[in-house]
Amino acid sequence: MNDYPKFEDYRDRFPLAMAYVPWQERPILYENLEEGFCNGTLFPELNKPFTGRRCVK
Amino acid sequence: MMQCKNDRERMLCDISKVSFAVVDLTLYLDTHSCDSQAQDYFNHYVRLLNQMKREYAMKYGPLNLSTADGYSSEWKWANMPLPWEGVC
Repeated sequence: MNDYPKFEDYRDRFPLAMAYVPWQERPILYENLEEGFCNGTLFPELNKPFTGRRCVK
Repeated sequence: MMQCKNDRERMLCDISKVSFAVVDLTLYLDTHSCDSQAQDYFNHYVRLLNQMKREYAMKYGPLNLSTADGYSSEWKWANMPLPWEGVC
């Protein structure tokens, strides 16, 4: 459906010591808009509340 | 759960939720312009948002200039109470 660059396909074009952000692909959306509104994002996979200690996966 | 005291606040809450969804989808589409499913979602929510804004404008007055038409008798835009005057 969408032909986004895959990291594996372009491994040789990613030099060392550089930071890369994984590409968001085929995301699902919150069905309930209020849930998305209160969480600050429409995408559950981007809902990463700050817990003061560890990172939320 | 968002607490809305009256119909006006409930409509404003709903407009806020849908406009938030439109903005977040816009940000996603900026980097994923060929995601047709996301475009469908965007089209749906932006049409819904425009309709909700028109309905709110008919009932309580325009939220922005694009919905300030439709009042042949009165120029509601300047005559309605302003948001910081504690009405909406």
